[in-house]
Amino acid sequence: MFKSKVLNLLLMLALALSLLVGCGQNEQPSAEQAKDTAAPEQSIKIGGSSTLAPVIAQLANEYTEEYGTWNKVDASLPEEPIVIFVSTGGSGFGVKSAINGTFDIGLVSRSIKDEEKEQIPNGQLIKVGTDALAIAVNPENPVLQVKPNLTTEELKGIFAGEIKTWKELDPQLPDRQIVLAIRDLGGGASEVFDTTVMQGTPVAKEAIQLPSMGALAGKVMENVDAIGYVSTGFVDQNQGKIAVLSIDGVEPTDENIASDQYKISRPLIMVTKDQPTAQQQKFIDFVMSAEGLAVVKEMGFVPAK
Amino acid sequence: MKNRLVKIICFSVSSLATLLLLAIVAFMVKESWPVWHSLGVGAIVTGTDWHPMANPPQLGIGTMILSTLWSALGAIMLATPLGLGAAIFLAEFAPPWLARLIRPVLNILTGIPSVVYGFVGAAVLVKFFEVSFGMPSGESLFCASLILTVMVLPYIITNSEAALRAVPNQYRETALAVGVSKQYLTIKVLLPLAKKGLVGAIILAFGRAAGETMAVLMLAGNTLVLPTSWFSKGEPLSALIALELGTSVVGSAHYQALFAAGLVLLVFVTAINILLNVIRNGKRNVVSKR
Repeated sequence: MFKSKVLNLLLMLALALSLLVGCGQNEQPSAEQAKDTAAPEQSIKIGGSSTLAPVIAQLANEYTEEYGTWNKVDASLPEEPIVIFVSTGGSGFGVKSAINGTFDIGLVSRSIKDEEKEQIPNGQLIKVGTDALAIAVNPENPVLQVKPNLTTEELKGIFAGEIKTWKELDPQLPDRQIVLAIRDLGGGASEVFDTTVMQGTPVAKEAIQLPSMGALAGKVMENVDAIGYVSTGFVDQNQGKIAVLSIDGVEPTDENIASDQYKISRPLIMVTKDQPTAQQQKFIDFVMSAEGLAVVKEMGFVPAK
Repeated sequence: MKNRLVKIICFSVSSLATLLLLAIVAFMVKESWPVWHSLGVGAIVTGTDWHPMANPPQLGIGTMILSTLWSALGAIMLATPLGLGAAIFLAEFAPPWLARLIRPVLNILTGIPSVVYGFVGAAVLVKFFEVSFGMPSGESLFCASLILTVMVLPYIITNSEAALRAVPNQYRETALAVGVSKQYLTIKVLLPLAKKGLVGAIILAFGRAAGETMAVLMLAGNTLVLPTSWFSKGEPLSALIALELGTSVVGSAHYQALFAAGLVLLVFVTAINILLNVIRNGKRNVVSKR
């Protein structure tokens, strides 16, 4: 009896304490971590765009596993273990952190604005690849035979809700409502689409927001009347189930995307504030090597040349 | 002495839990305060234009509030007759072996993750509506309601059954002695006596339906059009938050407005719980008065 009371008491105390401790914990570890990592210059901190970060994290993993210590990459470097931190947080965060030195390399999945460039006069911009959005429709949609090529204006009209049925797009097409499939507002994909196609015109309220690129691709695969922007990576993975329209006569092929002829795309960029250190340069070289760019392609993006 | 110590600890632990709830409310209020202050409660709650990225941002969440109500109330409308019927059957009519079989199944139903419900709904229901009713796209508040119905049914059934069983046996015995039929007894005696408990079960289910996120996110369609019917598409509050919180810039008006939406949802659910408590507290008096 007595024992169980003491046990209860202890349990409750532990609970109460854990509640209290849980609140304060937020701040401390990050400060300590920063102290730990600040000391050796052998580690590289990378962060930013949530689109690019998984690719770089994958590459960092492979790099660390392949070499282990820096002297194995290059004999002139010290025998220190390779440590590469990769974190996400968004493109804006990536640029800001590269400028203020939180990260050695910032990850950005949009073009770098001029006022950002001014703050890093000695910095380097390394384009890793391109993320393109293909305008996708169901393979059974007759638009593929009748009108496989849209102008930007037509595309804008469709997504702004001015062209509501396929017939309004072309009299030969069936009189069925166009189903717009988009990603959530404020996300990367919809931002690219807004800047390259919509240019300020809001997307029609009727558009269905899908919670992920996979769901969006699924919608286009299932619905004959759907049209949406799908990451080219998803189009490759679902060949035969998703059909792609050309925009202004340009097909979203790898060549057209890499040469910037296909407009609905965004660059994937690594940014440094100054000239990269020897170690950083080595890792950047690895990312830009054939092996590294193969991973970029594998993850669904068009690698830079 | 020892008892007092235990008492103090119990008290402090339970008040900590209460504090936690208050802290969440306070945090939501704090994060969303700038938009409430600058736009006014009316503009946010009744506004129907949601363009958080525009300049200046338009942050009306009226559409979402209406969508939440449509999908949740719709689910309750469908689930109530089914749930009450099932509860009456289980409590009064079902042979014991059948009831023993059904109850665990209901418990399993409550344990199925909502993503699974959402996924099944997206794969089966959405497609069904597109094919059978010729809808351009199958997502709708009705679709979300259907899945929510399945999700809240077990709550309604178990709680209503408990309420019916709570009616003292002497009523049943008396009814038998007087010679009325079982049906008469159930409809005219048991149901009125258990009324408060039954209403409580339905309100609890409504709270569940309003707060449910994942299944609704996958089925409601998430358009920004003001839903004019049960078969419109809409974007319930929970879906709005789940969709956009990840990509909103911390500290921006967009971010604050999402917290405002969360606060509205929280107020909804809390109000429902308070209502539930008020009803429950009244229950005993009624039974003893009769």
